[in-house]
Amino acid sequence: MRLEIDSVKIEELTLDERTYLDQRTLHIDPSDLEKRLLEDNRIKSVAFDVVRPGDWTRVVNLIDVIQPRCKISPLLSDFPGWVGKRRIAGSGQTTSLEGCTVALCNHFSRRPYAGIMDSFGRGAELSRYGKMVHLVLDPEPNENVSERDFELAAKTAGLRAAVYLARAAENHRADSTELYDLESITYAKSKLPRVAYCSMLYTPQHDYRGISDPILYGGPVTEMLPTIIHPNEILDGALVNALTIRGMETYSLQNHALIKELYKRHGRDLIFAGVIIYAASLDPSKRDRNALIASSLASNVLHADGILLTKLHGGMPSVDQALVAEACENLGIKSTIFVHLFNRGGSLMEAASLASLPTLHAVINVGHTLDRMHLSRAEKILGGNAQTPIYCADFKQYAGDRQIDIEQYLIAGVHDHIGGSRIVAVDY
Amino acid sequence: MSGKTLRVVHYINQFFGQQGGEEKAGIQFLVKDGAVGSAVALQKILGERAEIVATLICGDNYFAENTDKASEEGTRLAAQYKPDLFFAGPAFGAGRYGLACGALCKAVESHLRIPAVTAMSDENPGVDLYSRDTYIVRTERTTLKMAESLNTMVKLAFKLLSKDVTSKLVSQEALGRPSEDGYFPRGVVRNEFVEKTAAERGVDMLLARLRGEEVQSEVPSPDDRNPVPAPAMKKPLHLCEIALVSDGGLVPKDNPHGLRGRGNTVWAAYEIDKFFPQHFSSDDYAVAHTGYFSLHVLQNPNRLIPFDAMRELAQKGVVKLHPFFYSTSGNATAQKTCREMGLDIARSLKEKGGVDGVILTST
Repeated sequence: MRLEIDSVKIEELTLDERTYLDQRTLHIDPSDLEKRLLEDNRIKSVAFDVVRPGDWTRVVNLIDVIQPRCKISPLLSDFPGWVGKRRIAGSGQTTSLEGCTVALCNHFSRRPYAGIMDSFGRGAELSRYGKMVHLVLDPEPNENVSERDFELAAKTAGLRAAVYLARAAENHRADSTELYDLESITYAKSKLPRVAYCSMLYTPQHDYRGISDPILYGGPVTEMLPTIIHPNEILDGALVNALTIRGMETYSLQNHALIKELYKRHGRDLIFAGVIIYAASLDPSKRDRNALIASSLASNVLHADGILLTKLHGGMPSVDQALVAEACENLGIKSTIFVHLFNRGGSLMEAASLASLPTLHAVINVGHTLDRMHLSRAEKILGGNAQTPIYCADFKQYAGDRQIDIEQYLIAGVHDHIGGSRIVAVDY
Repeated sequence: MSGKTLRVVHYINQFFGQQGGEEKAGIQFLVKDGAVGSAVALQKILGERAEIVATLICGDNYFAENTDKASEEGTRLAAQYKPDLFFAGPAFGAGRYGLACGALCKAVESHLRIPAVTAMSDENPGVDLYSRDTYIVRTERTTLKMAESLNTMVKLAFKLLSKDVTSKLVSQEALGRPSEDGYFPRGVVRNEFVEKTAAERGVDMLLARLRGEEVQSEVPSPDDRNPVPAPAMKKPLHLCEIALVSDGGLVPKDNPHGLRGRGNTVWAAYEIDKFFPQHFSSDDYAVAHTGYFSLHVLQNPNRLIPFDAMRELAQKGVVKLHPFFYSTSGNATAQKTCREMGLDIARSLKEKGGVDGVILTST
């Protein structure tokens, strides 16, 4: 499987009467885009706004951030299962826009919290999105559309818009090209260690009203057994983020830091043996079974010498992750696990206690995601208004307050569970 | 730092305040304008940047015997001078003095919201008690290196007052790690920026393991404080009274005790017959816990706490059921708080008398 991602740099987005790319400015015709998005009769209208670095703007009710991408060949599918037909992602050519995103809001959702994105101040400085331009989409539901139905409609609209933007760059020269091809290395002769990646795709503990979010090829994964997929599938739209932001967005999956790092070292320091995916479980016997199957796939199918394991936000999935890692260690596979820390006060050891089985000696910490920070007042609010509540465990606050006290995992692009951030938590 | 001269209040004991030795350890607070006694040495180091506007002096015994009252008094006295910074000690190896410095700094920091810095040696009991609540600079046992300790205290205090855009802390505090800035760890976890991404560090770490090298985990290994199982109940089961305790966050609909969904610090006891009658309505409950999927519990609380099974066993005479159910919420709460709540609940059960065993259900 060979994937080529052709990146076109975008420096400016502007709403215009026609959609086209000129130099590095992407002109977008919002009425044309809206017309296409309204083909979904769950959506009544869509508000479009452009946010640029330095604008004193806060985007609230944020549910995803998506990099504009499209496939070149009509035989291949964009975000299969969401936008295009269900086809295996990960091969052929993909056009990708660099420096801009689709920032997707849902002000209709009554979930207790949503993400936030500032284009100014400390919030922008800390976020990977702080220096990018964003097309903010805020769709409005049609009458009688249920909350859940609209969540899916909004997600689809966001992904569709991302494809629409990328299409404008289809025939433009790429500024850079990345190749993803595991077959470029002759495995059999290599003496390099074989390294697998075990990716927890989902945790059902936060399921909203008891329903899992669809994320893989348009469907949910809660009941899946561990299986193997090609890393290119993840990079190329098979996987999207769940319906809320918790230290992860679709953008982070499209630019999966750990998969990219393993590719970078493939054939040089290691052989990238493959990716195992699974979902965390609330049921101890299923957890146990997941650990057995995942470790067996790593050992008996991928013949891994070492394995890296990432998880999602939350305490409970630490148990699933640690069990898989322990099962791998029992089969002689060396493991390194990535955890985030999540209790205020206390020490590092305590904050990571769920991940500290005595057999696991190698832990990467991706930071203290519940660490709080202050954001100052925004001049303009998109995706909601000054009265939009901003989640805080201890008190009520609103988007237009003079100061917002927020846990960092809710600010899009600050933390990254899959290896992209440069943050580590330390005892002080 | 602006050109403004900062206002400092310094606390010292009767000895360093030149009031006398042990025979004066009982004296109450004295307030002197400006720097007095060993505060003069501190003023020398502060130089032009800050002025000691008052020196508070108190006897070690008086403070030790009236810790709460003395902390309150000291804070009130300091507040009158509107300080920007507060220093106490150094207390070196002196136990009572160390406790006073720690207690007073804690009170000043929390009430006046200004940086407070003290100093003492490793084995001073003040470290154990107060290092989480205030900044305690590490000193030798003896006063030989007084100037050095004061220097470290001053450096640290000025850092606490400033922001540093080049700081590696995500919060941009100028503060260094405990080992770098010479203070005892405060037991908090902070985010730092590092050069490599987590992905790069993770692959490096795994490859090092595969080469057979020792690696430095970014999370310390768990300490070996293995929980000791409680001894078996000695009485025959049918004579035993069993209480139900859960950290699953089940509460009455209006959550009258204010259990929090995350980082909770309170617990509550509910009379089972009132809280959970035979014919219950799931509308009457709420779950104060954001860490697990609570819908099944809300549909039927018996799934979290086995009221139904225990009642049946009690009716059959297999066990006796303690009439109160203890509820708390355990989600990302510091272990220390959990231990304190656990001890509290155990104490309360003991006070009620007759309880022989507890069934703890978690999530």
